[in-house]
Amino acid sequence: MAEHTDTRTAAPHGTADGGTWQPRTLDTLKIADDDLRAVLEGRRHLLFDGGMGTMLQRAGMPAGARPELLNLTDPDMILGVQRAYVEAGAEVITSNTFGANASKLAGKATVEEVFRAAVHIARAAGARYVAGDIGPTGALLRPLGTLSFDEAYDLFAEEARAAEEAGCDLIVIETMTDLAEARAAVIAAKEHTRLPIFCTMTFEEDGRTFLGTSPEAAAVTLDALGADVVGINCSLGPDQIRPFLARMLAVTEKPVMVQANAGLPHVEAGATVYDIAPEAYAQGVARMVDDGAALIGGCCGTTPDFIRLLADIVRDRAPRDRTVAPALHIASAQAHVALPVGAGRIAVVGERLNPTGKKRLQQALRDGDMDYVVAQAISQQEQGADVLDVNVGLPGLDEVALMPRVSEELQAAVTLPLQFDSTDPAALEAAVRRYPGRAIINSVNGAAESLAAVLPIAARYGANVVGLTLDENGIPATAEGRLAIAGRIVGAAEAAGIPRTRLLIDCLVMTASTNQEQVREILRAVAMVKERLGVATTLGVSNVSFGLPARELLNATFLAAALGAGLDAPIINPGSARYMDVIRSYRVLNAEDAGAAAFIERYAGAPDPYHVPTGEAAMAAGAAGEAPVDSRRHDAAEPNEGGLEPDERICRLVVSGRRGECRRSVEELVRTCDPLQIIDGCLIPALDEVGRRFDAGTLFLPQLMASAEAAKAGFDVIRAAMPETTGTEKGAIVLATVRGDIHDIGKNIVKMLLENYGYRIIDLGRDVEPQRILEAVRETGARLAGLSALMTTTVPAMAETIELLHREAPGTAIMVGGAVLTPDYAREIGADLYAKDAAEAARLAEGVFARAD
Amino acid sequence: MRTQPAGIAADVWGKLASPARYRLAAHIDRAEALRYLGYRGQAVDDELAAHIEDIFARAESEFEPRGASDVFAIDAAACDASGAPCIRLADTTVELTGRSIWRHLKDADAAAVIAVTLGMGSERALRRCSHTHPADAAILDAGLSAMAEAAIGAVDTALRGEAAACGLSANHRFSCGYGDCPLDAQQDLLDALDARRVLGITLTPSNLMLPSKSITAVFGLFSGANGPVPASDAIRSCRGCRVADGCAFRARGTTCWS
Repeated sequence: MAEHTDTRTAAPHGTADGGTWQPRTLDTLKIADDDLRAVLEGRRHLLFDGGMGTMLQRAGMPAGARPELLNLTDPDMILGVQRAYVEAGAEVITSNTFGANASKLAGKATVEEVFRAAVHIARAAGARYVAGDIGPTGALLRPLGTLSFDEAYDLFAEEARAAEEAGCDLIVIETMTDLAEARAAVIAAKEHTRLPIFCTMTFEEDGRTFLGTSPEAAAVTLDALGADVVGINCSLGPDQIRPFLARMLAVTEKPVMVQANAGLPHVEAGATVYDIAPEAYAQGVARMVDDGAALIGGCCGTTPDFIRLLADIVRDRAPRDRTVAPALHIASAQAHVALPVGAGRIAVVGERLNPTGKKRLQQALRDGDMDYVVAQAISQQEQGADVLDVNVGLPGLDEVALMPRVSEELQAAVTLPLQFDSTDPAALEAAVRRYPGRAIINSVNGAAESLAAVLPIAARYGANVVGLTLDENGIPATAEGRLAIAGRIVGAAEAAGIPRTRLLIDCLVMTASTNQEQVREILRAVAMVKERLGVATTLGVSNVSFGLPARELLNATFLAAALGAGLDAPIINPGSARYMDVIRSYRVLNAEDAGAAAFIERYAGAPDPYHVPTGEAAMAAGAAGEAPVDSRRHDAAEPNEGGLEPDERICRLVVSGRRGECRRSVEELVRTCDPLQIIDGCLIPALDEVGRRFDAGTLFLPQLMASAEAAKAGFDVIRAAMPETTGTEKGAIVLATVRGDIHDIGKNIVKMLLENYGYRIIDLGRDVEPQRILEAVRETGARLAGLSALMTTTVPAMAETIELLHREAPGTAIMVGGAVLTPDYAREIGADLYAKDAAEAARLAEGVFARAD
Repeated sequence: MRTQPAGIAADVWGKLASPARYRLAAHIDRAEALRYLGYRGQAVDDELAAHIEDIFARAESEFEPRGASDVFAIDAAACDASGAPCIRLADTTVELTGRSIWRHLKDADAAAVIAVTLGMGSERALRRCSHTHPADAAILDAGLSAMAEAAIGAVDTALRGEAAACGLSANHRFSCGYGDCPLDAQQDLLDALDARRVLGITLTPSNLMLPSKSITAVFGLFSGANGPVPASDAIRSCRGCRVADGCAFRARGTTCWS
């Protein structure tokens, strides 16, 4: 979908690259004075200013005007507001640069001149400290939006540099709703300045940002990444923010900052006012200071009157001492997994996204078939994984490009945090740099070279890291040997600025068939590492059973034993009911499943797979609750519907869109029949019939698509039965929604149908540059390119693409479609073919390839 | 200070011209959603019908549409950069260009600006579904479009009702992209409602909204002095639309507002 991930390796700007890695500590920063340092150490309160936009609108600025330009055109207006805040007692004045990025300024002024003017005004107002304000870019980042992480980074880097050059004392990144964007800003500020970095995000009433990030996920991610202060601003009033503050305070030791709104706006006597009065607001903030907030200030609707009252709260007072329970935190933008030290909780790491030994996944990765990859992730999420391991290592594939691309696709479709699994540090860096969350790096080991290559990446981008207990001399045979290496890894990590709560030690499972005496050593090592080093542990469980029968049985037993020894994060296949039975029952025993509620819900009344009525026992062996309800429903199909011949039956199942039954019938037929015959004799004629009925109006879209899915289920069976399907492939077709357009439902329907007809589809996704489409056509030699546009405004981009392809790839026919196109319009912009719907697209493609043959 | 139109009394204006937020019931008009999917009375078996219903019902329980509105005075005497008459909304940076919107609002005393969104969860659900079940994704897409329509309709009805209670009439709602009104005004319309902060709506460089299941619209409010809304305005029609001749929607037998 996301067509092109920037493949350049993350450049370690401004870091000690080439030399030894220096972790970022307060000593490496430019800190204005001892008081500010005391703030960063959590020993002193700090008072920010209040709302700027509200004050300016009250002074007559229209909604939608760029307040940043006022720094240049009406500096006295800004000065007046900021002076009033200084007089009210604000120690920090926030530069009037919220939207001063190159994209929003749109050439009306340079970023540098806006920051220079803004900081000059703040100083003139008498600010003790000036915070260089950085707000969101205004555009949504990929994968849901169109702005790349690297583009956002570049915009923020320009602002951060301008802020430091203009003389700011710190950088405040605020009002963020997208964790990816907040991270891009923090990384940009880290890599381009030496200023302290404060970062706040904005939460809605449901306790999540608009993009689904919780206070915990925000705090643990930004803290690990290197924000010096984290916090909450905007959206809500102090009383509504207070519970979110408590959630942040529980997971970070960094000073926490709050800037609430003065409630909601309304107009009274022609002027916008907010519904919380200064006194009530200050009382709410005072409660948050009692809770542990160290930095306070105001946001929308607050005025100097509010700040004056806040000054009273923190005068002659130091932030409350607080202790944070140590825990391993893993986070995505939408999910947060916490394993508190000593609490005995566990997290399942799904292992299925690893091409080793999986032909279908290998093929998908080679073909760029992200649908398959993502489907594997979705099913693991549904099966109960808590974290997903992602390994894309295949000979001949560019892991540095592929890892972030797969990561981005997964972010759009699953909420689980990711564990990036690679032996290539560059691939790990490319992925974790851009990952919106606190990911896990898998892995580092005790060898000096590995520690030097991997730990700086985990430190720089705030990732957790798996440490393997092996080194230059291999894997020690004893638990003590493994503990020694684990200890070295912990030491090296801490020296690199990675606290031990960000480590998972993998004591490395050996195979019982070859190293039987070592299995108990592994369990002993897990217990010792946890006990003596206080770090979390992980294991690739299934290695234990190589070379033995009934592997799942052996693995499940070992899993139970390892959990008993203290294993925190087993890496397993969550699709195995057997393993998940162990996990779910263990969660009762370790008191994670409170009141055994989840256990009871799942298992009360469920049949015990070992108590099977005589005669069925053989069939049911090993299927512990494996068949979910869904597949049983499809089993109701008649084995031989109405006495039809198998091929007729399949044809009918495709036409009526019965996916499950179609798959089973093809499975049956493929045992006795030539696969090619099934394709040409059943599936394709059935699809043709569906297309005719769709044209005639007797089927509508969902029916057409149900048929296509049924046929696809049949093709999948055939593909699995004949490993080399090249003989059935008719040729490559490139599909894309053109630049500027983000609609892809129609294109996806066309894709599905064309795949059914045996074409290899290169789906470039949406918002695709003309040049990228040309490249794909050249790389694949596609004889047909299909372009989709749904908006009048994006048809020019389609015309541009057509022009480019016709000039540079004259052998490729171009087919277009989309809501705003007509046959005439399509001709006008130079398209060779116009398809009014997916069925017609399939017919037109047949024509193109028939001619070409 | 908010600019007050001459034709509207201060007390009425005080009530209407203020930002409002809405949390709306999630509703999918089944017939409308099916129409988006091309349904024209085809025979549908029970299993498919139940499957479609399941997708719609789940969407209704999963998403909560949100909306925002505000009312601004109109300056219809303004001209755009090319010298053509255009509509400006007071106290905002909104400038609506093109004949269609000018005709729609030139006689109005004030303009109601409304926006709704189904939230980023809807965008994510569509993406997730399109990877695994493209057919379901198409059904969900149609259902969510109908849900967004119902949401903008609910905000429209609520605000129109408030205006009517104040003695103002309203014409039908109009969105950028209709007729010859370009999408360029989208950013300013969203800013007029502070919609990025209030609703989480962002724009792509090509002025498409994300979450894609978001709608903005404008309608005119008319005081007694300007007479009731012209009858031709009360129902939507292509009559008088400047781009009716070359309209791609009409060429496909549909209209830009359906």
